[in-house]
Amino acid sequence: MLKLLKEVFRTGEATHLYPFAPLEVAKDFRGKPEHNPAQCIACAACTIACPPNAIGMETDPVAGTRTWSISYGRCIFCGRCEESCPTGAIRLTPDFELAVARKEDLTKRAVFKLALCPCCGEPVAAAREVDYVATILAGPDATPDQLARTRELASTCPDCKRRNDVDLLIRMGIERQMEKRI
Amino acid sequence: MTATSETRIGQDILAALRAKMPHAVTEERWQTNDQVTITVKLNSLPDVVRTLYYEHDGWLSTMVGNDERSINGTYALYYVLSMEGAAKCHVVVHTEISPDSLEFPSVTPSVPAAVWYEREVRDMFGLRPVGLPDERRLVLPDDWPDDLYPLRKDSMDYRFRPEPTEDNENYRFVNDAKQETTVVPLGPLHITSDEPGHFRLFVDGETIIDADYRMFYVHRGMEKLAETRMGYNEVTFLADRVCGICGYAHSVAYASSVENALGIEVPARAQAIRAILLETERLHSHLLNLGLVCHFTGFDSGFMQFFRVREKAMTLAEMLTGSRKTYAINLIGGVRRDILGEQKAATLALIAELRAEVTRLLDILMSTPNFAGRVANVGRLDPQIARDYSPVGPVVRGSGHRRDTRADHPFAGYKLVGLPVNTQAGCDILSRTQVRIAEFYDSIDLIERLLDAAPGGPILTEGFTYRPHRFALGYTEAPRGEDMHWSMTGDNQKLYRWRCRASTYNNWPVLRYMLRGNTVSDAPLIVGSIDPCYSCTDRVTIVDVNKARARTIAYKEMERYCRDRTNSPLK
Repeated sequence: MLKLLKEVFRTGEATHLYPFAPLEVAKDFRGKPEHNPAQCIACAACTIACPPNAIGMETDPVAGTRTWSISYGRCIFCGRCEESCPTGAIRLTPDFELAVARKEDLTKRAVFKLALCPCCGEPVAAAREVDYVATILAGPDATPDQLARTRELASTCPDCKRRNDVDLLIRMGIERQMEKRI
Repeated sequence: MTATSETRIGQDILAALRAKMPHAVTEERWQTNDQVTITVKLNSLPDVVRTLYYEHDGWLSTMVGNDERSINGTYALYYVLSMEGAAKCHVVVHTEISPDSLEFPSVTPSVPAAVWYEREVRDMFGLRPVGLPDERRLVLPDDWPDDLYPLRKDSMDYRFRPEPTEDNENYRFVNDAKQETTVVPLGPLHITSDEPGHFRLFVDGETIIDADYRMFYVHRGMEKLAETRMGYNEVTFLADRVCGICGYAHSVAYASSVENALGIEVPARAQAIRAILLETERLHSHLLNLGLVCHFTGFDSGFMQFFRVREKAMTLAEMLTGSRKTYAINLIGGVRRDILGEQKAATLALIAELRAEVTRLLDILMSTPNFAGRVANVGRLDPQIARDYSPVGPVVRGSGHRRDTRADHPFAGYKLVGLPVNTQAGCDILSRTQVRIAEFYDSIDLIERLLDAAPGGPILTEGFTYRPHRFALGYTEAPRGEDMHWSMTGDNQKLYRWRCRASTYNNWPVLRYMLRGNTVSDAPLIVGSIDPCYSCTDRVTIVDVNKARARTIAYKEMERYCRDRTNSPLK
C-alpha cells in the first residue's frame, strides 16, 4: 500500500491537457493524407495501391469528367498512396483529428477534365495525364510544334490510333511495294 | 525451393513414418529446408497425423481446407504439424478428397486438437469428417443456409450476406456433468473478449462443473476477402487488422508465408527490424494483460498504473513505425521503414525507463496480499489436456510445456539472437502471469540485443517473380502464442487461398477444462488468463436449470462480482 502511494506521488500528473493543448505526435507519424489537386494528374496509381479501397476514381464520359475521391472513414493511414504517386500530389500529414459531424464530410473529392480524342471526340484519359505523358515523351528540348504533335498522338484513343495506322499504311502503298518485290 | 537433400530437416521423421506405414505416403514436396508437405492416402490420414503427433513430438498448428477443383479436380486438406522433438520442422500432411464423396475420416478421435478445425472445414467447404463426435457448426450461424459453403470457389460473392431467419440462439451447448447442474450463460456478447462469444457455465451452487461456448459472432470473412478482392501484396495490410493488439505478428506471418512460397530472400536488416517490432508489440500486449489481471482481482489502482506505463510501449511503436499500432510496416520482401541512429538511441532510453517502472509495479503487485490468493491454483490447465489440444503461448508454457515458435522455429531476426523459453509448472493463472512477466523482461533484452546485432544493408527485396499455385507456411510467436498462416498464390496476382489462424483459436478449446472445478466469480479471471482480446459491451445470462428459469445479468455486474466477490448475482 505504501509502495503504491509512493508510486502515485512519484508519477504526479499522468494525463495530458489535450484537447485544450495540442498533442505532440512522433516525427513521421502517419496521419490524414492530404491531396493536392493542383499537382494531381488523375493517373489512378493511388487507387490501385490503396489496400482498403479508400481512394477511388469514377469516370463520367457524358460530362467529360473524372472524379477522384478519398474516404477518410476507410483510410488505414498506410501511406501506399504517397509511395505510388508519380507527382507527389498526395502526402500524409501528422493530423489525427478526423472527426466530422456528418458522414459525407469524411469523403473529399477532386474533379478532373477528360481529354477528348482529336479524331473521334470520345474521352480518352484525364487531360492532365495526357499533358504529363506528352511532356515526358517529347523531352525537355522539344519545340512547341513538336510538343503539340506529341500531345495529339498521346490523346488519340486506341481505336483511332489503329484506324490511323491502317490509313497510313494504305497511303504508303505497301501492297504495291510487295508486288514489285515478287 | 533451394533446399538440398543434405540440409533438409525432418527427413528422419519421414523415414520413420514410411517404415511404419509403407504405403501411406504417396508424395513429398519441400517448401523450405524445414517445411515439407507429404501427400497421404485418405484412409491413412488419421493414423499418419496421430503417429506424427504422439510419436514424434508433433503439435497441431493449423488445418487448411482448400477447394482445388479448378487446379486438380479435388478438395484438399492440409494438417500442419509443428515437430518439436529433436528435428524441429513443420510437416504438413496433405490429402485429397473427391468432390463426389466430400467425406474424409476424422482425425479428432485420435488427436483431439483437430476438433475445431474439422468443424470449421465442414462449415466452410461442406467436407464431412466421418467419425467426428461433434456435429454442431463452429463458424457459421445456425440459421445460415444449409448448402452454402462460403469458401468454395463457386459458392458466393464475398459481399453476400444471407438474411438471418430467426433471433433465437438455438445452438446446443454440451454439458458433460454427471450430477444436476445450473446453467450460467455468459453472453451472447461475451465477457472479457473482443469477439462476442456466448458462454454457458454449468454450475452446482457456485462451482463450475462444465462449460461450453459459442464464438464467431463477428466472423469478418477475411480469408474470402483476401482471396477475392485484394492483390497478394495488399493482404499484408489486411493481415495487420486481424487483431487490434497483436496485428503485426499476423502481418509478419502472412508476409513470410508468401516469401517462403515464392523463395524470396528477405534482407537480414529487415528480419531484425521485424523481430524488434514484434517484441515492441509483445511489451504493450503483456502490460495490457498484467493490467487486466490487476483489474479482475479487484486491484484497480494497479490496473491504472500498468496502463500508464504501457503508454511508453505505445510511444515506442509510434516512433518506430509512425503508428501507435505497429501497422503497415511490412511488405512482401521486407519492411518499409528503417530504424535510424537517433531512433535506436531513443528506443534504448525508453525501454530502460520501462524496465525500471515495471519492476516497481510488479513489486507492488506481488506484495499485494490478496493477489496470490486469487490467482494461485485457479484455472488449472492439466499438462496432459494441454498436450492433447495443442494450446499455444503463455497458456501452454504456464503448464510446463517448452513451446515457443521463436525458439523452436526461429524466424525473422530471432535467428540472430538466442532466447530463453520461460515455463512454469504451476498450471494456474499465477503461472501464466509469471510467464508473461518473464517474457516482458526477455522482450526488453531482445530489443537491446537485436538493435546491436542488426546488420546494415537494404531493408526490402524487390523484383521477385510471382509464380502461380505456390504455397508455404509463415509463422510468428505473437504475445498470445503461435500465429500460423498458410498461403497459396493464384494465377491472377491474388491469393488462391489464405488460411490465417490466430493464436487464441488454439487456446479456446482448453478453456472448458480450465473452468471446471472453479467458482463462478473466477470465470472472468480465468477467461482473461488466456488473454483473449477484451471488450466491455458484454452482458451475461443466468439460467437456473433446477428452477427452470433464465435471467440475464449485465456484464458489468458479473465483472463486479469477480472483483468484489460479494452479493452473488446467482442468488
